[in-house]
Amino acid sequence: MTMQTFLEVEKISVGYGTTTVLADLDLGIGKGEFVALLGSSGCGKTTLLRTIAGFARPSAGSIQVDGRDVTQMAPDRRGMALVFQSYALWPHMTVAQNIGYGLKLQKRSRGDIEAKVAEMQDLLGLSGLGNRKPGQLSGGQRQRVALGRALAIDPEILLLDEPLSNLDARIRLTVRHEIRSLQQRLGITAIHVTHDREEAMVMADRIVIMNAGRIEQQGSPEAVYNKPASPFVAAFMGAENLLSMQARVTGEQIELHEGAFNSSTVTARSGRKLLSGPVELRFRAEAARLVSNNDTAAREPGALELRGQVASVSYPGGHWRHAVRLGTDEILVDSITPFAQGETVKVRIPAQSLFIFNTPEAPAPAH
Amino acid sequence: MQKRLLAILLVLPALIMIVLFFIVPLFASVVGAFEVGGTMGLGNFTKSFELYSSDMIFTLVIVTVSTVLIGLFSVSIGGYLTLGENPRAMAALRWLYRWPMFIPFIVVGQVMRTFLAKNGLMNNILVSLGLLTPLQTVGFLDWRGIVIAFVWKQTPFVTLLVAGAMASLDRSTIEAARNLGASRLRILIEIVLPQIAATLMVGLILSFVTMMSVLSVPLMINAQSPTMLTADIAFRINAHGDYGVANALGLISLLLTAGAALIYLRQSVKERS
Repeated sequence: MTMQTFLEVEKISVGYGTTTVLADLDLGIGKGEFVALLGSSGCGKTTLLRTIAGFARPSAGSIQVDGRDVTQMAPDRRGMALVFQSYALWPHMTVAQNIGYGLKLQKRSRGDIEAKVAEMQDLLGLSGLGNRKPGQLSGGQRQRVALGRALAIDPEILLLDEPLSNLDARIRLTVRHEIRSLQQRLGITAIHVTHDREEAMVMADRIVIMNAGRIEQQGSPEAVYNKPASPFVAAFMGAENLLSMQARVTGEQIELHEGAFNSSTVTARSGRKLLSGPVELRFRAEAARLVSNNDTAAREPGALELRGQVASVSYPGGHWRHAVRLGTDEILVDSITPFAQGETVKVRIPAQSLFIFNTPEAPAPAH
Repeated sequence: MQKRLLAILLVLPALIMIVLFFIVPLFASVVGAFEVGGTMGLGNFTKSFELYSSDMIFTLVIVTVSTVLIGLFSVSIGGYLTLGENPRAMAALRWLYRWPMFIPFIVVGQVMRTFLAKNGLMNNILVSLGLLTPLQTVGFLDWRGIVIAFVWKQTPFVTLLVAGAMASLDRSTIEAARNLGASRLRILIEIVLPQIAATLMVGLILSFVTMMSVLSVPLMINAQSPTMLTADIAFRINAHGDYGVANALGLISLLLTAGAALIYLRQSVKERS
């Protein structure tokens, strides 16, 4: 997926009043690429999108599309169309008028407009609804009208600001795929802002994870999922279980010191940038395996084994979820078969599912 | 049973007030309009039309022209406050535009009299600026003066409603239009105005009714003929003690405002459905 950079955001800084939202941010997006900006609310992802669209003025930096500088251009000169979170349909106009408004502004002939509007309605499954007002449509239909209005002007870049957050959970799942396949069919470059991890994973070629106005990590869905570069990314990508340990790094090996619930474990460094000292371990509930305490099968090389007690069991569907108590900590572990509450169990976490980071407060010097 | 009695008792004061101070006087003046020398008839109306038909047209034209101008100004001011890009100018305008609302009509009439007269403040300024010679000056103390006074006084009220409605619009409907390349004027006319049309209508109708009932402004600015119906009603009563014709004129202006009220009622029924 190496391609030429089509949209280039360079050293951009944006702030409202005295607060800085984005500082010195760089981002490059290839032609035809679908990029998801993922982050929790307030991380600056919407501000970045609005800056690209031209609704927020950067205090420094530049934005280029296909080599031309658009930083100071009006929103409509950038070849971009934005789909708003609230859809922002004009309630006094019909579906056809909403979709055709951009073309009307371009002074296209009536025949042209009608043909394009009909094409959009066909494309989006809105045929026969042209004379309805937005108030008479369902949420999913409104969403598609908003999409049609944006696509009707043939933008080079489609910007999507949490377009699915106002839809029912079930419709959201199908609309995800609709938007993705539409984007692929049209070969359009798309930037999608979302706080939903799964949505970003399913839709995007590349995920850009943002935190506090900075890009924490970017890469393909499987890369950010399996190789999180920071504790924040690991937690955001679902590795919510957190344990603190001491580690010693020697060459290509990491030794996790013996603790109250685990024996000393040696695991491969696998290219991690890690220093000896206090570390935090993160892993996903579904990545760990739960076995009975008297299971004596040898553990895989590099896997971490913990011993704890089942505090509670629940069934969220497909598997049993156990809260396992380790002293004052509690971790969540999934298992196909349930274990009884109060039972002593072993938790095995394979080496590749362990995310190890230096504890940010006190990065101890190497021994 | 006791509860029902209590409910009636609670409503009674309000009901008495309405009957005593609204329904009875209205009924009396409607009946009075048809009373000519102790018998019922249309005499007061024929007399009203003979003497004051030009004043009726004058009144209707002035109030209609004022309403249109108020609409134009309030949409322009509200539009600038919503779509403007100069924060300092917007803050100044927001602070300034409301002031005329707090000035009573009689004072507005007084102010306009000294400002718009042939040798009033406005012409003095124009002459001292060298834009006019003293011989070219014209007084505005006729229908134009009334229109200026009405527009000056009522625009802030309608602007207040209109700007409020504009401010509560979904901003992204404006941004979506900008995103597609609409100019600010087009956004105001094609995107913003249709969404606040109902509010604008209510403001204009309330203004229309208010202006129909103002006596002080026509008396202060334009006491000659033709004048507004309110001045005629006052004149019939004060100079002639002629309550019959005054009641008939009152009923006629009530019918004129009823036209506007009807539009208002239909609008609010449509909104609720």
